[in-house]
Amino acid sequence: MDFILQQFINGVTVGGIYALIALGYTMVYGVLKLINFAHGDLCILGAFIGLTTLTSGVFGGLSTPVLLILAFLIAMIAVAVAGTLLDQFAYKPLRKAPRLSAVVSALGASMLIQNGIMLIWSPNVQVFPNNLLPNINWEIGGAHISFVQLLIIVGAFVLMAALYFFVHHTRVGTAIRATAIDQDAARLMGVNVNRVIAMVFIIGPVLGAVGGLFIGLYYRQTYFTMGWSYGLSAFIAAIIGGIGNIPGAMLGGLVLGLFNAFAAGYVSSSWQDAITFALLIAILLVRPTGLLGERVAEKV
Amino acid sequence: MNTAVSQQSGGDADVLLELDGIGISFGGLRAVDDLSFKIRRGEIVGLIGPNGAGKTTVFNMITGVYRPTDGHIRWHGRDITGLAPHRIAEAGIRRTFQTIRLFQDMTVLENVIAGQHLRMRQSWWQGLLNTPAQRREERELVERAMTVLRQLDLADVAQEIATSLPYGAQRRVEMARTLVAEPELIILDEPAAGLNEQESAGLNDTIRAIRDAGVTVILVEHDMSVVMNVTDNIVVINFGKKIAEGKPAEIRSNPLVIEAYLGQDDDEDDPLMNAVQDQVNA
Amino acid sequence: MDKHMNQASPATPSGTARALRLAGPALWILGLLIPQLLSPAWITIGGIFAIYAIVALSQDIVLGRAGMYDMGHAVFFGIGAYTCAILSLSFNWPVLWTIPVAIVLAAALGAILSAPIVKLRGDYLLVVTIGFNAIFVLAMQNNLFGLTGGADGLFGVSGPTFFGHMFGTQSDLFYLNWVVLAVVLWLMGNLDRSSLGRTFRYIKHDELAATTLGVNARNYKVAAFALAAGFAGLAGTLFAMQLSAVSPGSFRFTDSVVLFAIVLVGGQASVPGVLLGTAMMFVVPQIFTEFAQYRYLAFGVAMILVMILRPQGIWPARKGVI
Repeated sequence: MDFILQQFINGVTVGGIYALIALGYTMVYGVLKLINFAHGDLCILGAFIGLTTLTSGVFGGLSTPVLLILAFLIAMIAVAVAGTLLDQFAYKPLRKAPRLSAVVSALGASMLIQNGIMLIWSPNVQVFPNNLLPNINWEIGGAHISFVQLLIIVGAFVLMAALYFFVHHTRVGTAIRATAIDQDAARLMGVNVNRVIAMVFIIGPVLGAVGGLFIGLYYRQTYFTMGWSYGLSAFIAAIIGGIGNIPGAMLGGLVLGLFNAFAAGYVSSSWQDAITFALLIAILLVRPTGLLGERVAEKV
Repeated sequence: MNTAVSQQSGGDADVLLELDGIGISFGGLRAVDDLSFKIRRGEIVGLIGPNGAGKTTVFNMITGVYRPTDGHIRWHGRDITGLAPHRIAEAGIRRTFQTIRLFQDMTVLENVIAGQHLRMRQSWWQGLLNTPAQRREERELVERAMTVLRQLDLADVAQEIATSLPYGAQRRVEMARTLVAEPELIILDEPAAGLNEQESAGLNDTIRAIRDAGVTVILVEHDMSVVMNVTDNIVVINFGKKIAEGKPAEIRSNPLVIEAYLGQDDDEDDPLMNAVQDQVNA
Repeated sequence: MDKHMNQASPATPSGTARALRLAGPALWILGLLIPQLLSPAWITIGGIFAIYAIVALSQDIVLGRAGMYDMGHAVFFGIGAYTCAILSLSFNWPVLWTIPVAIVLAAALGAILSAPIVKLRGDYLLVVTIGFNAIFVLAMQNNLFGLTGGADGLFGVSGPTFFGHMFGTQSDLFYLNWVVLAVVLWLMGNLDRSSLGRTFRYIKHDELAATTLGVNARNYKVAAFALAAGFAGLAGTLFAMQLSAVSPGSFRFTDSVVLFAIVLVGGQASVPGVLLGTAMMFVVPQIFTEFAQYRYLAFGVAMILVMILRPQGIWPARKGVI
């Protein structure tokens, strides 16, 4: 029982991170029908920028909680800018081009960002200082939850709730949903589609930056290829939930996090990723559009 | 090309295609409902109705693109309801599309050769190794395609990229692609769309020539100068249901048909409307 | 009716086409001189280029010709390589005999893996192929059945012995690779002119229209995967021999992405385009070795720029083959 609870806690923690990153994929896909392969790399960029903020010494005078908040803010802003630039230079020129062109451009952008990070920071693993967060653990029913885990779970859920409220109860959020359903119809109804797309390339990266920095704080390290591996997992989460579907991304993230946590308990870690992919393939074969997936009708 | 023929008994010996109470729904919309009619060998049948009546949907069901939720479609008495499109093609039914679906970046000749796909006997490795047998078959395919292109007056554009041709020529290419397969039944989806008067008259001749060559034709068309002049039999549908069936002269004066067209927002150039007006004013 | 105004465009200017068609074989013959004229480093580079050119051409069959988003193609490359290594090292097979087995095994796996997934929509198919690739790499890393050697892989694969001559030196292997490349190029040319190749293109351009002409699209899609996998498997055996070793690190997602990009940047369904793309990715960086670490960065930028500025690829396919 303690084992199950512990894995549950671990799973929800990682699931929250996956969900935050998955939301970026799903929002961009919903609006542009594009898989933003560079998204994972943007997220880990958040981790690197956050790390630099935390360790640079420029802000040495500040207390740790304030420093942390500052790190998050700076990471979020920087990644939002990066995401906007990414869209402007790599995707916007291809709005009217065939789908494959945008896919290749996204892959190119991913390579660019990933290797840019490697060149700017280092190809080596970057370690996070271990005095940032209180080293407290709480006991719950035989399992324990650490401060950082609680921080991530609470943070992720707060952000997801905020996003859900934003998307369903504000005008801009409704505009985003409308654009995702039918861009032309939305435009005809007066929605400024370009502004919607710009928003999506801010919100997605912002959430992702938080997710990336969470990764750094949780594992206390980061390296330049982590964007690809976490990005892929989060992407799988988005697909499991039904790509383009915002609640789906949240659900998919949690499902994947829990699945990984429980699988890790029973299967050796080196096979873990294989199981993740097997899960994805199995789901797609049974439900080709994901758990909460879109139904696409094609007129002949 | 088509499999064993099993004939129905009695006076229906000539029936090629039978639609028996077919229907289909899309979400909550009942697009076609309880539709039945027969097509006999050698006929030219027209399927007409106001926009949105469900005509293309009917074609899509016959050709296997959609699966009817109710009813049956029979070909030579054999149930072909819900078969995949390539099986329908195997059975000897070919079609053209309302929007013209020629293969982009391929020449007229390549497009027409595509229509002979089922005739090809060469196996994959013969293709890979460029064997003499394969080359011989390729030559035959080209010859047959050129024959059809000549019949449709397209021989001199055989090497042009198909989608770069004028609209009317593209329609003829698509028709060539269906004819080269020597089908038993050919389905034409708005073949006159985008054609001028002269081209439409030419189309009528082409359709008659197709029938004279032994191919049965069913077509959807809005251009009444084509429908009234070339068809033997007309089926009229509205809101997915059959509202009339008969010879052109009967249909032209059928009150239900007139009402169906009149009930639409008026289109001053609608030939049926004009035909109706002429009759009323006569 | 703008179309009435356009002049019908000819399929291809014949003079240039003929010149280009001669240039290919001429370059190949020139290539045979590499071991005589250039340094050993270049002999290896030439051999590697030939091998990756074959894999890239095989990727083109699935992506450029049949139009399916396969982003896990390195898996078939890897299956060929590992089959050669395992059979010759663990089971002491003569290396020459491992080649047909590798081809058949890769092709069979291509058919088996693709059969359930070809019905998926483009983006989903893409993700599943990434999955297959990843599972393969993990299986190899985990020393499956104790045969695959784990993360370090397997060492000591030798060249084949052909009519008593052992292909041991880099020059030997270069000639082997170069000749196999010529064979593959010949087969690809035949494919273009055959009904099989045409049918792939029908499916890519308009699958629905193709089915109404009698094309069993599903079977052909699986066939495309199987054929492509066979070629990739062949290249895999050559790779194993060239490096004398196989390891999971050569067949990862990044490698599949490079293959995918080569086809799109070079030119879909274009043999010269794919060869050019392969050269850009594998030969050009060798010239600028000081900038090796910028290789992926440069390729990433190139991918973005080519898609924006020249979406049809650097050397697009000739239109109208017959």
